[in-house]
Amino acid sequence: MRRKATQHALLYAGVALTCAILVFPIYWLVVTALSEPSQLRQLPPSFWPAEPRWGVFGQIMAERPILLWLGNSALAAIGAVTISMVVSVLAGYSLSRFRVRGGQSLGLFILTAKMLPATLLVIPLFGIFRNLELIGSLWSIILAHATLIIPFTTWMLKGYFDTIPRELEQAAMVDGCSPLGALVRVILPVSAPGLAATALYGFVLSWSDYAYARTFLTNAQGNWTANLGITTMKGEYISNWSDISAASILVALPILAIYLFLERYLVGGLTAGAEK
Amino acid sequence: MAGIRIDSVTKSYGGLAVLKAFSLDIADGEFVVLVGPSGCGKSTMLKILAGLEEASSGTISIGERDVTDLAPGDRDIAMVFQNYALYPHLTVAKNMGFGLKMRGTDPAEIERRVNDAAKILGIDHLLERRPRALSGGQRQRVALGRAIVREPQAFLMDEPLSNLDAKLRVHTRAEISALHKRLRVTTIYVTHDQTEAMTMADRIVIMKDGVIQQIASPDVMFREPANLFVAGFIGSPGMNFLKAKVETTASGTTAKLFGHDVKLPVANAATLAGKDIVVGLRPEHIAAGPGQVSFTVIPRLIESLGSEQYVYVDLPEEHRREASSGGEDESRRTSLIARLINPDPRPPEVTLTLSFDPARLHVFDAASGEAIR
Repeated sequence: MRRKATQHALLYAGVALTCAILVFPIYWLVVTALSEPSQLRQLPPSFWPAEPRWGVFGQIMAERPILLWLGNSALAAIGAVTISMVVSVLAGYSLSRFRVRGGQSLGLFILTAKMLPATLLVIPLFGIFRNLELIGSLWSIILAHATLIIPFTTWMLKGYFDTIPRELEQAAMVDGCSPLGALVRVILPVSAPGLAATALYGFVLSWSDYAYARTFLTNAQGNWTANLGITTMKGEYISNWSDISAASILVALPILAIYLFLERYLVGGLTAGAEK
Repeated sequence: MAGIRIDSVTKSYGGLAVLKAFSLDIADGEFVVLVGPSGCGKSTMLKILAGLEEASSGTISIGERDVTDLAPGDRDIAMVFQNYALYPHLTVAKNMGFGLKMRGTDPAEIERRVNDAAKILGIDHLLERRPRALSGGQRQRVALGRAIVREPQAFLMDEPLSNLDAKLRVHTRAEISALHKRLRVTTIYVTHDQTEAMTMADRIVIMKDGVIQQIASPDVMFREPANLFVAGFIGSPGMNFLKAKVETTASGTTAKLFGHDVKLPVANAATLAGKDIVVGLRPEHIAAGPGQVSFTVIPRLIESLGSEQYVYVDLPEEHRREASSGGEDESRRTSLIARLINPDPRPPEVTLTLSFDPARLHVFDAASGEAIR
């Protein structure tokens, strides 16, 4: 009994420590945002500002086109996720269900693409988009993000489709559906949790991109995404880290809101493969 | 409703032939059961019939229509799957009406037919539930209902009872039989359970390694098995097999069984002289006490089921067959089972007299395994 209590205590201590490590950077971001810039370098550091600057959020929204940047980020993420989901649903389903010659090699090829660092594609994509006259257009990062997201989402969805019994679409086909009809009418509705998890994953990948936006959109100020916009707040000689932190919080809020909204589906989606 | 003709259907995966020249004519309204051990090709045949798998060669006709190259939805068949394959995102009513909706049936007509089928199956109070809120038995009924509402030319059923517990399985088995008698829709039913095959079928098709072993009614299949495989598969417990040699004695053509010269119940027995044979004897054809051919044994094990007893006896060495490569149960090769009805309680390892009627014996060619009659 005593041993069990000790084990529990150690477990809770471990969980608390892990949570502290994970939450501390977010907490420090909030502290930085709410502190006067002059207080940031004081020693010992203050763990909560004496007079929090709650007005900082309104102030930077008035000074900077934060809403425009957020809108651009949202458009890019929604566009990239839409393209990625259409492609990866069909690709993942095919890899899961059809045994075609070379199918396994194709799957492996996609897996390899997933392992390549995103920055490796920046220069070739720049060349392609320049020829297509897409540099400066939101389409450049929509397509670039899709190339990044599709290998991940294809494999995530393939794994999810593998857990769905084949008899479901066979029943749909006996009931009169074409193979594509069975996918749309039966498999996709059943896969809603997996689709939600996968789409959110793609959304976060796109939302958090900086390298592509920096390369393709620098000269098109009206199309700046949130991450790109925030970096312009850093001056060459002086940077207001409090304002930058406040802007970072505003940019992170939409993702946090989506996570909270989709949590129920996400848990189902990510654990769906655990049981038949 | 329509008859079905399967003509020389084969199926190979690369070099592996899983169906070899499968031919079968099924009459309109007939209930045919495909039975056999795992991997014998019965489910593959059903999927080919449904259009879910492509045959390597051969043709399939439903009614007068050649459906070999038609998509599953164009064959006008309905299928009940082993795991029911209900659409989890739809209610029971929508599950049942899905096939009609796909065919563009009027919504009022769909509702009428779904309600009618639900009443027949006693699930009319479950129509608004989702499959996850149903028990195994209820799901099974919904799967049947989904097939019934379509009013198809034929029902295909792929081991639909195997996920139910033993008691519910017996109950549902009877219900499916009753449903077939009521609707008279041609039904092809796949199972590995010989009891299901015996109790439900108009005709049984027994398969092994992709080859049909025998097509017959349950009674004929039981009384006149075509070969050793059929004889061993049909019946519970399966038939006892005893190795023997045909001899010519003063009493005619006989085989020595348990030390007795036993006359064999075959025509033209004289032509068999000197031949190695396997004699088959069903456990229920062995009686306690003396009879036409009696022998004494010391039971190794007695299993009592109340109304009957299974008496396990070690076979004499001379009657034991060589081990086969077919994965046959080793204990069946070396032992004999007697099924005694309404027996007196008896302890094992006490000498017991058993007997059988030679007319009940089955004779098989030891080399080919084919029945000799």
